[in-house]
Amino acid sequence: MVGKMIVANVLHRPIRTIVSILAVAIEVGMVLLVVGMTSGMLNESAKRVEGVGADIMVQPPGASFFLGITAAPMPIKIADRLKEIPHVQAVAPVLLQFNTTSGLNLVYGIDMKTFDEVSGGFVYFDGGPLKNPWDILVDDWYARSNHVKVGETLNLLSHDFHVVGIVEHGKGARLFISIETAQEMTGARDRASIFFVKCTDPGYTQNVLNAIRKLMPRYQVLSVKEYMSMMTSNSLPELTDFVNTMIAIAVGIGFLVIFLSMYTTITERTREIGILKSLGASKFYIIKAILQEAGLLAIGGIILGFIGTFLVHRAISAYFPTLPVDLTMAWRARAAVLAIIGSLVGAFYPALRAAKLDPIEALGYE
Amino acid sequence: MESIIATQDLWKVYRTGKVDTPALRGVTLEIQEGEFVAIVGPSGCGKSTLLHLLGGLASPTSGKIFVEGNDLSKMTDSERTRFRRHKIGFVFQRFNLLPTLTAKENVELAQHIHGNGFNPHRFQMVVEMLGIANRLNHRPYALSGGEQQRVAIARAVICEPKILLADEPTGNLDSENSQTVLNMMRTLNRTLRQTLLMITHNPEAAAVADRIIHMRDGQLIED
Repeated sequence: MVGKMIVANVLHRPIRTIVSILAVAIEVGMVLLVVGMTSGMLNESAKRVEGVGADIMVQPPGASFFLGITAAPMPIKIADRLKEIPHVQAVAPVLLQFNTTSGLNLVYGIDMKTFDEVSGGFVYFDGGPLKNPWDILVDDWYARSNHVKVGETLNLLSHDFHVVGIVEHGKGARLFISIETAQEMTGARDRASIFFVKCTDPGYTQNVLNAIRKLMPRYQVLSVKEYMSMMTSNSLPELTDFVNTMIAIAVGIGFLVIFLSMYTTITERTREIGILKSLGASKFYIIKAILQEAGLLAIGGIILGFIGTFLVHRAISAYFPTLPVDLTMAWRARAAVLAIIGSLVGAFYPALRAAKLDPIEALGYE
Repeated sequence: MESIIATQDLWKVYRTGKVDTPALRGVTLEIQEGEFVAIVGPSGCGKSTLLHLLGGLASPTSGKIFVEGNDLSKMTDSERTRFRRHKIGFVFQRFNLLPTLTAKENVELAQHIHGNGFNPHRFQMVVEMLGIANRLNHRPYALSGGEQQRVAIARAVICEPKILLADEPTGNLDSENSQTVLNMMRTLNRTLRQTLLMITHNPEAAAVADRIIHMRDGQLIED
């Protein structure tokens, strides 16, 4: 019976219902998309590093393991010392740069020969390897989202590059230039930001790791497995704070709209609450009915939020293929729980206020 | 015969700021089970206040109210709520049906709040007696005033309350519908021995009752 009353109330005030459901849907969508994009970018970034094919990464002291950037790259000669360590098969020095044209993109300055030795070589969908200083390789995702073709000129880092090849994604970066060019552009002659080390057998990784750490105790030396396990938002406090802030804002939006919606509804329905009280409805009955109504709005919002998120995800994949979004079942469940809790908390004060109404005053409400 | 309602020196004083306004001034009355009582009097004489106190919607400032021997004046808010749920049925001047529910759902709601669930036999008997069986699927806005009031009466009596309290039940009705509603109430009183206390301005309506109590300035002046 209460269910009928709740559904009738929800249908009786369509604008209020639509606004409330939309607010919860936005809340759910924001939580899912913020978390999905954050973890999607982290996972994708980690997978790309894994895709380089190295077993170990060597970075200078104080470098960010997330982006691999540092203001003080290492001398490239370190590669020679690393190659001397037993069980090291290949070492690829890479100088990292960031391109902010058409989004934030990592650019790998590579030495084709050593990078191929470590990675096993690029898979070319079109064109071929870097030959000249101002040549550039782009991965297929970048090419698709930016409509780049072999033979075109790509302005990057205030220089015109000649696109010579489109390669399969998943090898560290989306853009690759020669390491000498990158060094020249940054004034970091004979330097590298990161060394990718490949062992003769993955089983030797720990031995090689220990040897590098002994040789270069101040440097940041990580196995790719360690790196992969660290690439979660939990390992990045600033990112965790960002994600938590965004979730708090999203839940806050849902909470406030439900609060306002239920508060207004209670005011509008003061007389109806008086009627319920005259029939002998207890405070608990009234609170329960209002919370159930808020719960119903939340469920509507969650369903709409899931549908909206799915559509936005599809749109992002179609128009921004370089922007990965991970929508996990665990976060769907968390977003739903957050939406329900936010809605119930938002409706609780109005429900309490309704339950405490004086029945005579409520019955006389115009 | 034992009194189903008894009040002793009942006072109700409303305070607005620092001003006390007495609505009831020492009302003492007794109503027997199965009686149909009309309370008449000018506006502001305290009729509605008395009805609200007898129905447990408010508590008295002083004095005692006994319903079936239970002292309402000593009850807590939740005890009075329980009392209303199980002992009292209200009929209001403005019908007070929930606009989003059908007539049937309005009646069912009272049964739901009462907690005994839907009783189809009782439901059928009441709706047939009140002549609303063919209007049950309509919402209040689609019903005439008389029909709405009959639905409100059905809602009030569906859970077999000990006492039916009616606050100007014909106040918003034309004479034909008023007569119909009054006849229904008379029938309820006669056939089901429903104790009925009705407030009215209308002398014709009051004449339907077994007993008429006159009030003025918060006091009973004639019984």
